[in-house]
Order: sequence, then structure tokens, then C-alpha cells
Amino acid sequence: MAYVATRGGARAIEQAERLFRTEMGAIDAARVAEIRAAMPYLIDRVMGEASLYDEDIAALALAQTGGDLYEAVLLLRAWRTTQPRLQVAEPVAQDGLFTHRRISAAFKDIPGGQLLGPTLDYSHRLLASEVLTGTPFAPKPVDAAPTPAPATQPSVAAWQAANDLVDLPEPDMTRPDDIPDVTREPVLFPSKRAHTLQSLARADTGGTLALGYAAMRGYGKAHPTVNELRLAEAEVMVKHPKGTEFSAGRVKVSQAEVVSKSGDKLSLGFAATLGWNEVKCISAATLDLNSKGAAKGSATEEEFFLYHTEGVESSGFCIHFKLPHYVTFQSSLDAMRDANAQKAAPQTPDQEPAE
Amino acid sequence: MSLSSLTKPWQPMSYGFLDASAKREIRRKMLKAVAVPGCQMPYASREVPMARGWGTGGLQVSLTLINPKTCVKVIDQGADDSVNAASIRRFLAQVSGAPTTLDTLKANLIQSRHRIPEEKLTAHQTLVLQVPNPEPLRSVQPNMSIARQMHGDADYGRMWLQLYEQIVRSGRVMQGASYPAMVNGRHVMTPSPIPRWDVPKLHMAQHLTILSAGREKRIYAVPPHTRVEPLVFDDVPYRVEDHGDLTCHRSGARGFFMNEIPLPDGSAAHEISDSEYGVKTIRTRDGEAVETGDTWYINGLIEDAT
Amino acid sequence: MTLTLNPPRLVATDALLQISNVSKSYGAVNAVRDVSATVYPGEVLGIVGESGSGKSTLLRMMNLEEIPDSGTYTLDLPEVSGNLFDLDRFARRMLCAKRIGIVYQNPHLGLLMDHTSSGNVAERLLVAGERRFGELRARAQDALAASEFPLERLDDPPRDLSGGMQQRVQLAKAIALEPALLLLDEPTTGLDVSVQALVLDTLKRLQQERQITMVLVSHDLGVIRTLADRVMVMRRGQVVEAGLVDQIFQDPQHPYTQQLVHAKL
Repeated sequence: MAYVATRGGARAIEQAERLFRTEMGAIDAARVAEIRAAMPYLIDRVMGEASLYDEDIAALALAQTGGDLYEAVLLLRAWRTTQPRLQVAEPVAQDGLFTHRRISAAFKDIPGGQLLGPTLDYSHRLLASEVLTGTPFAPKPVDAAPTPAPATQPSVAAWQAANDLVDLPEPDMTRPDDIPDVTREPVLFPSKRAHTLQSLARADTGGTLALGYAAMRGYGKAHPTVNELRLAEAEVMVKHPKGTEFSAGRVKVSQAEVVSKSGDKLSLGFAATLGWNEVKCISAATLDLNSKGAAKGSATEEEFFLYHTEGVESSGFCIHFKLPHYVTFQSSLDAMRDANAQKAAPQTPDQEPAE
Repeated sequence: MSLSSLTKPWQPMSYGFLDASAKREIRRKMLKAVAVPGCQMPYASREVPMARGWGTGGLQVSLTLINPKTCVKVIDQGADDSVNAASIRRFLAQVSGAPTTLDTLKANLIQSRHRIPEEKLTAHQTLVLQVPNPEPLRSVQPNMSIARQMHGDADYGRMWLQLYEQIVRSGRVMQGASYPAMVNGRHVMTPSPIPRWDVPKLHMAQHLTILSAGREKRIYAVPPHTRVEPLVFDDVPYRVEDHGDLTCHRSGARGFFMNEIPLPDGSAAHEISDSEYGVKTIRTRDGEAVETGDTWYINGLIEDAT
Repeated sequence: MTLTLNPPRLVATDALLQISNVSKSYGAVNAVRDVSATVYPGEVLGIVGESGSGKSTLLRMMNLEEIPDSGTYTLDLPEVSGNLFDLDRFARRMLCAKRIGIVYQNPHLGLLMDHTSSGNVAERLLVAGERRFGELRARAQDALAASEFPLERLDDPPRDLSGGMQQRVQLAKAIALEPALLLLDEPTTGLDVSVQALVLDTLKRLQQERQITMVLVSHDLGVIRTLADRVMVMRRGQVVEAGLVDQIFQDPQHPYTQQLVHAKL
């Protein structure tokens, strides 16, 4: 039965996967630990896009996918789907964040102080090529500041609100358990605020940057000023069934607040994500800032940017074009050939189509 | 009270991968979809261990419907052994313990991409079609919120205009696969990218069809015995692909949807797209006792279901 | 211009269109303030005023594109009754699709620039439920011919047409269903003077042949004088004067109207 003998789909996909994995060899706990230690910012980015905070599991996903970020995020999201939901943690406020880095471009100094924290912003981007020839690249130790920075600071927007420069959004009193969850219900437009912020928190960093950058370059109406950018740790406060509130640990978070002048007040754009990812937060906050009243179909319209910065969906759809499409292609060919044949056949001008 | 009393013993995943809340949501949305045929129901669409665009919508429906006794068939482009069909079949079997089959007649649940089998489906079967883009209005209205309103208003003028434009410019309707169809006289749906050949199979069918788009998060359905009418002008009849006269060079089967296989000499051979039906034809020819079901098309023509 | 004696159109009959006491403001701006208007079957009502006078807002209300803050709107048609501003979105859309035609100053508002011209006209018939391709084509052709559109360009997209031709496609689309009411929003503004005259001729001829009820908005008194039977003069959202065209032109009462007429003469 020659026909049956050509069947090889199952075997082919098995072997193709082996070929891919052979390159990376066996993965063990040591490799995962090394990735986690060596690449905290990559881990942060992946955790943010996966909306799953676990550095070990994120490192494992990176090891298992050989560093293909879209694959790693998908792997984490699919794993996340299977996890039970035990509790929703208490909300955190800006002035309760244990802050490592906090800068404002809007004022020279701000209550609580500018806090540069860890950054490569002012480093010279020179490759340490000596590492390849055997000289390790070891960082110099940090000199402690004469006076330690306070662990928490008030928000810049709070000062602006007190000075009647900005209207802060009404505090959302929704109970934590009732907060709309983008992983449990579809986003419909105009989208709920929670859905927007969650989607931006999960958005693909590159996609958010591309659309945010378009808005910054002039395709958006509002030019952002970074009101406040924070890299911080947030306490995850949960309630024990007996009623005791306790911290289940801390997670790294980043947030950006951008402002622009709008009439006689400032308007705010906001984004936050798990892990430290400055580019994404500033871009996402810029999109948020520009979304009010954006034209349908423009890059700063909420529906447009939320759909198109969803990394798992967009990357999946992109690679799906590798799947066979010969049935649909055949169907189009059929219509095209018939139309061409009709054109070739002599026809009187006002004739009805020959169907 | 301890943490272990609040949770069940740890398992890597639930039965059928999806947890109970995800399945419950999908069951509810499927019921709604059946209640309003052809109307798209938004659902959360969980992330599953396959990339979006690779059948995650169909997969979630299959995972919700499946039980250890469900006999599952998975096809892609009509073929059971197509790489992604093999992958989905393996995953379904692995997480559910359900038996799999290649035989259309034996299957209770058929998940398919881009084809409906040539053998007639019956009342005990459910067809799950994978949908890349659930919105028939996308080409005339890319904004989902506006498109939703247009469905609400049955505002389909632009769809008809598209057909008009194609006939004026090309002399015929140029839509290939994904031919839009009016369901139950009310909602226009895209039947997923099945060829025009397959759309009439949905009309007044005995089986239930669930269409699910994972990436776009929409479920819709064609319940049994429901009208599915391709959008056509009264005086320009619907035309399926001109495959009625083609013969499969492997099986000798004739009058079914074919794949065109380019040959080095510049010509082309044809082979039947429904691979398992081709296999049955060969086996029958070779004298094996194979059970072959009734087909929707006979001698390349479909019988009128109404 | 030679004077021809037309049969009197203002016979004793019920009004087709009645707009009463409509007001609309956008923030602090009062676009339309307490305006009322009546149009009888077969007549042409002109609305004249400078830009910002509220005349286009009023026309958009007649097309149910704009809903005022207060006021009522009725059309004497068998399928509708009561205040049309109270209709839901669906009923509004169906009424406009079937009974009201509109020609916009900006053809981009009224036309699909990349579709065929005949398709633009056919769309209206499709919305009204026509499902025969042959019929669509024939009726689109008839409407385009009636608008004096050159039929050899039937299937050219409006983007390839001149401004005058685009207005003829809009007009064909508007009259394809024999509308009860035809709304014209500065239909010839922006066209060359010679083209403007030709388009006005077409409108005049159509009006005379088909006795279509029209409401014509223009800042140009010449256009109003050519087409309208009666005229309403608007300024800052209010009607300052209304009457028969000849009367207003010969003997304007309100200082603003006087200024308009004298500027024209």
C-alpha cells in the first residue's frame, strides 16, 4: 500500500524536535541556575511577558527553548494556565514600594529625591573583549552612600495633584477577587481599565516599543515627559485562612508614569509590569497617554495596540504561516484560473458573467 | 487548617489539560453559540502548549468535549498524517487517554483545519473546525468593535458589495476558501478556510459543528439541521471548485476535492485531499473489506440537503 | 437667467419634513439654537449662512447623523411615526438607507474611493435588500445616467475621477432608491465654476423631472437662487429670516440677510 507508506507526519515531527534539542544538549539544574544568575534582566522580561513571577521557572523556560523568547513566554503562559489560583494579593501603592531606582524627568528634584539606582544609562557601551582572551570582567564594588536613600517615596503625581496640576483617577475600590482578569475573560472594547493595564503588563516588549516609539516620534498626539520611573520590589501581602495577613515574599516590579499637557491640566499615562523592564513601561505608558480619543485604526487606539502587542498571539500567528495552506491555495487558484479563462474567451461588453 | 487541606494533591495538570473553570466557560460559550447559530461568542481562550494560530481554539474545544471514550480524529488540509494534525492528535491522546482513529466513520470528535471529510457526518459526531480569523467582516471592517455592531444590525451591505466588485472586476466571485455564509438567515459567518467545496456540507447537516478561534477568542457554531447559505446573488449561482471531473492518480477516486501536485514535466497530477478516503478507495480496490460511508458528493455533484 | 414659470409647488398638503425647536451645543458652543423648519413634498428648501452658522449641523440632523440635545423631527412617511430622533440606531440606519439620500461637499464622506463607481451606487440598493446582480447593475447604470455620469467610466473608482464626476456618483447613489428626501450639503462648493454650473443643471433637471423633495445647504446665494423655492437664512445657530426665494432676494428684512444679498449683487 504505497499510499499508506508515505505517511510520516508523526515520525517527522518527533525527529525535527530531537534535532532542535540536540543542539542544546542535556539541561540540568546547574544550567538553569546559571541562566538565572547571569541574565536577571532577560528573566525579568520573560516573567513580565508571561505574567508569571518565578525566576527559576523562567530560567528553565529559557534553557528549554534555547533562548527563543517567544517560545519561552509561550511555554510559561501554557504552564501558568494549569496552575491553581490560591489567592489574590492585596494591592500595592506607589508610596509603599521598596524602591531601588526612581527618577523623574519633570523636575530637577522631587520629594523623596531622585534615586539613580542600578542602571547602564551612563555607562560607555564598550565590549569587554578581554573576557574572550582570558581576563575576567569583574565589576568594581559599590561605594555605600553617606546617607542611605529612604526605602519608600511618595509619588510625583501626588505632589502634582496637591498643586492642582493633574486630576488623579478615582481610586478603584473593586475587591481584589472581583478585578477583571484578562486571562479569564476576553477583552472587549472599549476595554476595562484593568484589562488594559494587564494587557500592557503582559505585552511583548519589542511590539510595545515599536508602537510606543511611533507615538513618541509624532504619530501620537501627546509628547510624553517621564513623570516618574520606578524599579522596585513589591511586598506580596496575602491572607492566611485564619485571618493573619503576611508577606509571601517580594516581587520585582517596574512602573512608568508619563505626562503631557492637555488643556489646563496634565494628563497621565501609566504602565507597570512584573520584573524590571524600563523600555516596556515607558513605551506602554506613552501608548496609554495617547489612547484617549485616538482615531479608530491608529497605532495609539487601544484596540489597535492591545491586539498587536500581544506577543504570544502575534508570534504564533506569524509562525502559523509555515503550516501547509495548500487547500486554501488550491481554492484561490481555481477561482483565478476560471476568471482568466473567462477573460481569454470572447465576450460582448455588456454580457452578464457566465455564471 | 493547613495549606494541603485547601488544595488537592499536586498533579502536573488537570484531566484534559484545561482546568475546570476553563472548561466550564467553554461549555457555556458553546451552548450560547448553539443557541444563536453563526453568532460569535467571545471567550477567554486559555494559553495551551501550542502556539497561537496552530489550532489552539479547536484544541480548547476538543479538550473540553473529550472523555476517555471519545474516539478522536484530527486532520489538517484533509490529511491525518499532516505534521500539525499528528501533533494535535498526540497531545489530545496524551492528556485524555482517548483512543484515536483515522477513520471518519469511527470518530466521535473530528478536529479539522481547512477541510470537512468527504464521508457524511452523522448525528453522533461533532466536527471542530480550527479558525484563524472568525470575523467575516474583517476585510471590509478591521475594527472588531465596529464589526460586532454590524453583526448586531445585520449590516452586511459591504459584504455583498465585495461580491459585486469581484464580479465586475474579474467576471466572477473571486473568494477562494473561507466563503462567507449566512447561518439560519441571520448571522454571516466565515466557515473557516474550508474550500467552497465543503461549505454546502454544513447546510442542514446532521452533525454539530463548533468553530473556534483561539487567538481571536471567539466560538461559534452550526447546530444540526441549520441553514448555511453561501452569500450569492440570486442570478449568479454559487460555484464550488471545478474538481468534479478530476481523478486521484493514487486511488482512482473521482469527483472529490483534490490536491494539485506539480510534476517535473510541467504538468500536474491530482490526489484526493481527504487522505483517509483515498486509503479506503485503494483498499477496496485491492479487495479488502473496508467500510466506506456515504459521501456528500456523488459523481462530483452534491445532493441538495433541503 | 431666463425666468420660466413653474407650476406652483406649494399646494395645500401635509408637510413632508417637520423639524421643531432643535438645539445642539458642543461644550460651550451652541451650534444650533431653537431652530424649526418645514419642507413640503416636491419643494426645495435652501439653507444659507456662513460657515459656523449651524446649517450643516442642521442638515446632519435631518440625515440622523447628529442627534440634537432637544427638539423633534418627523417625516410624513408610512413606515415611521413620532420623533425620529428617538429611533434606535438600527431604525435610524434603515430609514436613512431606504428613504434619505445625501450628497456631501467632501466626496470622501459619501463614497468608497477604491470601489467601482457603479458599486458605490449599488451599495445603497444592496442595503435595501436587492440581491440580483443584473438588477443591481442595471439600476446603478440608470441612476448614474440620470446624474449625467459618463457610462464608459461606470466601473472606474471615484479616486480616479474629477471632483465634478465624484459629485455625480454621490448624486447617483443618493437617488438610486428614489429617496423621499434628498439632502445636499454644499454639493458644488470647491468645483470649478463651469463644472459647478453643469452639476447645478443636473440637479435642477432632476428636481423638475422627478419632483424630489430637497434640502440644500450652501453659503452661495447663487446656488440657492438657482435651485431653491424657499430659503432659510441662518446665523450663529439661529434662523434670522425665512421665506420664498424671490421675496428674500428682492426684499431682505434682516440686516444680515441684506448684507448677504448686497454682497452677492
